[in-house]
Amino acid sequence: MVRAVPPALRVAAVVFVALTAVFLVGPLVVVVGVSLSESQFIAFPPAGLSLRWYDRVLSSEAFLAAGWLSLRLALLVTLSATLVGGAAAIAIHRRRLPGGEVLGALFLSPLVLPTIIYAIGMLMLWSALFGPVSLAALWIGHTVIAAPYVVRTTLAVLADSDPFAEEAARTMGAGRLRRLWLVVLPQCLPGLGAGAFFAFNLSFDEAVLSLFLRRPGLTTLPVQIYGQLEFSPDPSVAAVSSLMIAVTVGLIVVIDRIVGVQKVAST
Amino acid sequence: MTDRQESALLLLPGLLLLAGAFLVPILQMLALSVAGPDGGWTLDHFRRFLGDGFYLAVLARTVRLSLVITAICLAVGFPMAYIMARARPRPRVWLIVLVILPLMTSVVVRTFGWMVLLSRSGLVSGLLRDFGLAPRNFALMYTETAIVIGMVQVLLPFMALSILGVILRIDPRIEEAARTMGCSFLRALAAVVLPLSLPGIVAGSLLVFTLSASSFVTPNLLGGPRVQVLAASVWRAVTQTLDWPFAAAQAVILFAGVLAILVPYIRIAGRGHG
Repeated sequence: MVRAVPPALRVAAVVFVALTAVFLVGPLVVVVGVSLSESQFIAFPPAGLSLRWYDRVLSSEAFLAAGWLSLRLALLVTLSATLVGGAAAIAIHRRRLPGGEVLGALFLSPLVLPTIIYAIGMLMLWSALFGPVSLAALWIGHTVIAAPYVVRTTLAVLADSDPFAEEAARTMGAGRLRRLWLVVLPQCLPGLGAGAFFAFNLSFDEAVLSLFLRRPGLTTLPVQIYGQLEFSPDPSVAAVSSLMIAVTVGLIVVIDRIVGVQKVAST
Repeated sequence: MTDRQESALLLLPGLLLLAGAFLVPILQMLALSVAGPDGGWTLDHFRRFLGDGFYLAVLARTVRLSLVITAICLAVGFPMAYIMARARPRPRVWLIVLVILPLMTSVVVRTFGWMVLLSRSGLVSGLLRDFGLAPRNFALMYTETAIVIGMVQVLLPFMALSILGVILRIDPRIEEAARTMGCSFLRALAAVVLPLSLPGIVAGSLLVFTLSASSFVTPNLLGGPRVQVLAASVWRAVTQTLDWPFAAAQAVILFAGVLAILVPYIRIAGRGHG
């Protein structure tokens, strides 16, 4: 058999994958482990088992306020990024505008530009125009970096869709809005859905923009965790982090249901 | 309304957002990097950076670490992507989840995991001491090695997925043909798969290099204040010394540096491919 892989290499591949798995997932396992510890010191493997640090988190005003801000922000960003990104993707897909290639590249450019460069510009512009940063600044900033993900997932789904469905609707006499609503939107839906969950995940986990655009009373969950890590981490930070990991796992399951995890990985 | 007008209307919110909230802030930063104290313009901020040994060392460290991180990600990411591409569908889904789960977890959370593992009482430092590979009292935290370990874990998924996308599109029959012509498995891998996956390798390396040169969360937490990288220095200038023009100048240098290294790299890789 020509396709056969030498047995020694097969074993080596299994060992390699196992080691990589430990390397990639190990830190997350450690965080969850620390959060279950009974001791007040950060240690892995954990000393004793308890849920007391989760109790601590749920009664901590700082964490609850940060969590509430992160949740509101992520929901706002999901909404705006999906609307803006989805509409742009439909227009880019139709290629009816001059400079379509350039437009596509422009819309994906926030993915390529290092976030720190954008974050510092955003902070300087906002301060010059409006003074202290606010939730609106975070909302706009996160939308700029989240919308390209929606553009990308929606374009990927549209590329596989039937280009003549809209023509058919047009010959049958459907107006523009009806065509958009009844034909194009359903075609985009898996892409929009996956993009929306990506946008939520991105905003909920984002640290760089949120660190630059922070002020007292405007700290998201990742910023709150970062601050504690710099100074005095205790296992309650691990508990919050574990909750964030749980949110991520939930989002991956949902995205897998919508478009399939493999489709996500290869676009 | 014409089709073109409809498309323009759909595109308008996105264009406004990109122009007003993406391009203008970047222009603002560029302008501030040459802003003088009395409203004129000056290159003093750049001169200060380039004339100070401390900042030059920070710059050199950033480039060096980014190159090392990119090389390690490539060495691990290519075999990983190949195994993912050639795995049967079910194990492949699990391998993809394995790569996506850390990718989608907050960088802050992942770095926290490494802080625990690499600290003096942590598992990794402890194991190294137990095996006699490190002196007593040894800790990996606050070293360049710690930054490299943490950053490779953060960026490996980008590399693996970039290469995976390309390998999945290579016709497996080409590889089979090479085998029937007498190539060994490894020879076919080197002579067929590797050259064909070059676009993915280049794209992944570009992404990893750019991201590692511009990240500061992981380097700040794992390297501490004594092992500074350029992005961390930008962060300090913004939040601690409050010298925004200097911060902007450093960000511009970061941006220019990333471009300067990437452009020739693309050229070389493109030539090798053609």
